[in-house]
Amino acid sequence: MILSRQPISRRAVLRGMGVTLALPLLDGMSPVFGAVRRAVKSPTRLGVVYVPNGIVMENWTPAEEGTGFGFTPTLKPLEPFSEHVTVVTGLNGNPGGGPHAGAATRFLTDVAAKQDNANILAGISVDQFVAREFGRETQLASLELGLDTRDFAGSCDIGYSCAYTNTIAWKSPTTPLPIENDPRAVFERLFGDGGTTDQATRIARARHDKSILDSITEKTASLSRRLGHGDRGKIEQYLDAIRDVERRIQKAEADSANALPEVDQPAGVPSRYSDHAKLMFDMQVLAYQSDLTRVVTFMMGREISGRSYAEIGVPDAHHPISHHQNIPENIAKLCKINVFHISLLSYYFEKLRATPDGDGTLLDSLLLIYGSGMSNSNEHSPANLPILIGGGAAGQLKGGRHIKVGAGVPLANLHLTLLDRLGVQIESIGNSTGRMQTLSLS
Amino acid sequence: MTKGTVASVGVVIVLLMSTLISSATRLQPATASADRTLLNQYCVSCHNQRLKTAALTLDTADLTDIPAGAEIWEKVIQKLQSSAMPPPGRLRPDAMAVQTFVKRLESALDQAAAARPNPGRLALHRLNRAEYANAIHDLLALTIDARSMLFADDADQHGFDNNADVLSVSPALMERYMSAARKIARLTLGRGMSNPVSDTYSIPRMLVQDTRTDDDLPLGSRGGMAIRHRFPVDGEYRLKIKLQTNLYDYIRGLGQRHQLDVRLDSARIKLFTIGGENPAKPAPAGFAGAIFGDTAWEDYSHNADKSLEFQFTARAGERVVAVSFVGRAPTAAEGVLLPRQVGYPLAVNEAPDGDPAVDFVQITGPLTVVGPGDTPSRRSVLLCQPAKSSEESCATKIFASLARRAYRRPVTPEDVRTLMRFYEQAASEGGFEAGIEAGLERMLVDPEFLFRVEVDRHDTSGKPFQITDLELCSRLSFFLWSSIPDNELLDLAEHGRLRAPGVLEAQVRRMLADPRATRSLVDNFAGQWLVIRNVDSITPNTDLFHEFDENLRSAMKKETELFVEDQLRSDKGIPELLSATYTFLNERLARHYGIRDVYGDAFRRLELDGSHRGGLLGQASLLTVTSYPDRTSPVLRGKWLLENMLGTPPPPPPGNAGTLKENGADGRPAPVRDRLEEHRKNLACASCHLQMDPLGFALENFDAIGTWRSRAEGGAPVDASAALIDGTTFAGLPGLRQHLLSRRDQFAATVTEKLLSYALGRTVEYYDKPTVRQIVRNTAADDYRWSAVILEIVKSRPFQMRRAER
Repeated sequence: MILSRQPISRRAVLRGMGVTLALPLLDGMSPVFGAVRRAVKSPTRLGVVYVPNGIVMENWTPAEEGTGFGFTPTLKPLEPFSEHVTVVTGLNGNPGGGPHAGAATRFLTDVAAKQDNANILAGISVDQFVAREFGRETQLASLELGLDTRDFAGSCDIGYSCAYTNTIAWKSPTTPLPIENDPRAVFERLFGDGGTTDQATRIARARHDKSILDSITEKTASLSRRLGHGDRGKIEQYLDAIRDVERRIQKAEADSANALPEVDQPAGVPSRYSDHAKLMFDMQVLAYQSDLTRVVTFMMGREISGRSYAEIGVPDAHHPISHHQNIPENIAKLCKINVFHISLLSYYFEKLRATPDGDGTLLDSLLLIYGSGMSNSNEHSPANLPILIGGGAAGQLKGGRHIKVGAGVPLANLHLTLLDRLGVQIESIGNSTGRMQTLSLS
Repeated sequence: MTKGTVASVGVVIVLLMSTLISSATRLQPATASADRTLLNQYCVSCHNQRLKTAALTLDTADLTDIPAGAEIWEKVIQKLQSSAMPPPGRLRPDAMAVQTFVKRLESALDQAAAARPNPGRLALHRLNRAEYANAIHDLLALTIDARSMLFADDADQHGFDNNADVLSVSPALMERYMSAARKIARLTLGRGMSNPVSDTYSIPRMLVQDTRTDDDLPLGSRGGMAIRHRFPVDGEYRLKIKLQTNLYDYIRGLGQRHQLDVRLDSARIKLFTIGGENPAKPAPAGFAGAIFGDTAWEDYSHNADKSLEFQFTARAGERVVAVSFVGRAPTAAEGVLLPRQVGYPLAVNEAPDGDPAVDFVQITGPLTVVGPGDTPSRRSVLLCQPAKSSEESCATKIFASLARRAYRRPVTPEDVRTLMRFYEQAASEGGFEAGIEAGLERMLVDPEFLFRVEVDRHDTSGKPFQITDLELCSRLSFFLWSSIPDNELLDLAEHGRLRAPGVLEAQVRRMLADPRATRSLVDNFAGQWLVIRNVDSITPNTDLFHEFDENLRSAMKKETELFVEDQLRSDKGIPELLSATYTFLNERLARHYGIRDVYGDAFRRLELDGSHRGGLLGQASLLTVTSYPDRTSPVLRGKWLLENMLGTPPPPPPGNAGTLKENGADGRPAPVRDRLEEHRKNLACASCHLQMDPLGFALENFDAIGTWRSRAEGGAPVDASAALIDGTTFAGLPGLRQHLLSRRDQFAATVTEKLLSYALGRTVEYYDKPTVRQIVRNTAADDYRWSAVILEIVKSRPFQMRRAER
């Protein structure tokens, strides 16, 4: 009897009034017993951090090119990690696809969002090319995280589906991956419902589960003897499932020497933006550390976000103020938001650097792309995008540089080059015209 | 009750008959030769050894031993009855000759089936998600959020998700079962719930909150929601309310003062006031892009709902938390009534003079734990409150009682010993209740809980045999309740009295009178048969259908659910589904239907005199799920009718079918009827589409969300006339209803076949067709009353018996 397995993705319905949210769930996903692999050579990871509504380029772009550039006011919080920072300026994104829908869409695909009510159509995003390869090694191919949750039916950017502004990750040209913003849900996807990453708890849980599994295996064996031949196939499937769970428990026990930091399951979404962002960065560190996934995209805000940043003294809504009309007061507020995001990124860098991984730290093995899908927000400009490459990419990337590309180099060229560095061979994406020779190893 | 002899299921009678009938199934040579002539004349030019069209070789089929080719002949019957064969353009035999031939085939097949029944086999049946949730509810008095705990189950090709062959177990699902068992055991006893968790209840943005939205909300209130929240323990909790904002995060409706009322089990626990605070500078004119306002105002309009948060005490158990706006009539529209905002206008408008709306309510806790409290779950599980010395005997009693219902059979000492092992281990560390929790957790992943097990008999040597009373008892409860049997059923089965005279019928009637029956038959049977479950996921194009909102979506679904529930509860004849002249409406849906004088959110029964509607086929739910987001599809509707109303699903289109051109010769979009005219010209399409398309045309007066219309998509007047292959013509919904009702036996057979498939949890095969025909015959005099059909199914061989393994 051929039995279909659970589909790869499902639609889970949020409790309450039937808001649906698609959660991709991999069949092999085993929360509680995350296998902690300890390879001497640590694997390369890809991270993407996106900020919406552009960046004030005057305060972002370093004056000098090459090594030893001076950290600008916006980049200042990253100065302690200068050897792990490469700023790339001058790249042009695909100009099509609506002012804000286009921005988020082009960031990892370099294609234009399509204005069509019946279909959504973009391109496969860089992270998903990588997830296809790296995902073979881990329980989750990738994680898509964010800090907003919205359900605008109809259009967000005029005439465009909200899918374009709500995510930057596209599994296929027609499959946008929804972002998860609840740290509790992220934790449960990674570590199950035990409520903590505490090792003793997880081991005790594993032993308990093992005794239950032993007991039902025994019972099932005796039941199986009473069943017909056809039904035995079915019960065999059930036993297979039990054995699979048991195998993971054994693995978890064998790996028990490698302790994860003790983290309790978050209760939900913190009300302060910075607390929320830090907690989500913590989740990303945990995901890499436990090697449950090697690819994470993270949106610090959905494109067109009107979040107000009262906690840093900017009560104005992000999107309207991003249309600064060249009024210095507005630009100053916008810069404050830009710096705030970078300071949260430096919190992430600090955490990554403090986490040992193989012979180095997580910051050494991560390749991180940070930036926005537009530069000057007053004009929704897709040219000269703010892009920062962070981390050591497991030795594949030399940091501490400001690289300025010549006129008209597509963003996709950077993507192709980074994919090369990650060992993922792709012929072309978006508007790509070739590789970036300037982003060399040394 | 039904007339005629209800075929007994006893093996004795079956054996008796088999000797009598074997000769009767052989046709007289003369008859056989007449049928051969008919086949030769109309069928074998395609279906022969050489061409093997559709893998059918009727030139060599043996008409003197029809039962030997039962599988083929059942197909032939279906094709002839639906006039699908011979194909259009071919010479057709006259209707009388076809009927005579079909009757002869049927009677030969039916007689053979009576003599040598093949009741089929049910595979080991994993409880699907709905069954699991119901079982937990009936066993532990606990309502669980099964959607968050378990995966959705795959449906079979006929759309039912309770098909044993399809219900599989993956490692991921096994982990879900383990984690669900753990959570459920904890929730049941309210133990170990000290970690606060947040549950967020969201309201879809497109659900317009301009009326009282739930019967559990205060009278005269507006918007918000009534949440049935399970508080795990007695203790302190925190409630937080977020208000809806526009796309740019401005809270809507802050121009005036509003009162937001929060109640716990009807008692007010908080009253907030929000809005109406005018900072010095006025708000900006609009927020669609570059304009932004005064800083203080900006701050307020972004953060005014930050204060909508408070702590409160709640007792354990499921309680109703009601959040709504009170004390003020909804903002009255003055002047021209504007259409509801959707899409971009809704996204950008912060509507300062409009009504605020609730985005989500978040309940977090417990922040402090007072105790496990007194909940229905604890009461139903903790049958005894033991002194220290008698804890073990109390635990034994508890597990014996639980396991009997969970495993749906008498418990054995071994069952209890297994659970007690888990009890002892946990009780030694955490006390009595920790032990009960551990045993419960183990029980909920037991294969005999997760699977419906039917065991073969070894002494029947390949013959079909009657299943045991206990197996029958489970089949009954999963058919009628989608859940485990109750004590009364189990008692009867354990004492072997379920099949005593009159008992089975009395039990079926008792079960049907239980609200669980209507609920599960509506949700699980009708919800899937009529595909009204899909109403949840339809996405009409709101650029074209501005009026489509969540209120309409849920009203559409509710109408059909209430209608089917009423039909079941008042035990109507099945054809009344089509012929009924009443329905259930609330204000939103009545407006959609152009029916006046219906006010408020509550549904009520209404006679549809003088309306364009009536019966299932005029309901917006069905008309919408059979349409595309932007237009109607006579093909989809026709296919749906063939499949679900007439029981003659068309085969899938051939691989090289191609698609229709969207535009006519002049380059402009062609009317749908003109485009479908292509089907008629192309022979490869015609044989199926000439059955499908006309049925769909009859519903063309209803657009893609079920609104009545007199002009179609292109602006041309609607042509709702239909001409079938056999020459029948009719027009519009009344004509279609008349046509279907003139074939009420075929409609009844279709519903019976669907219901039988659902009842058994397996696909209906060719060898089940005689059973379907028998049920239809036996219930015809009763006009196919629901209870009569259900009783006949319960008494039928496939339901009562099992084929031994070969």
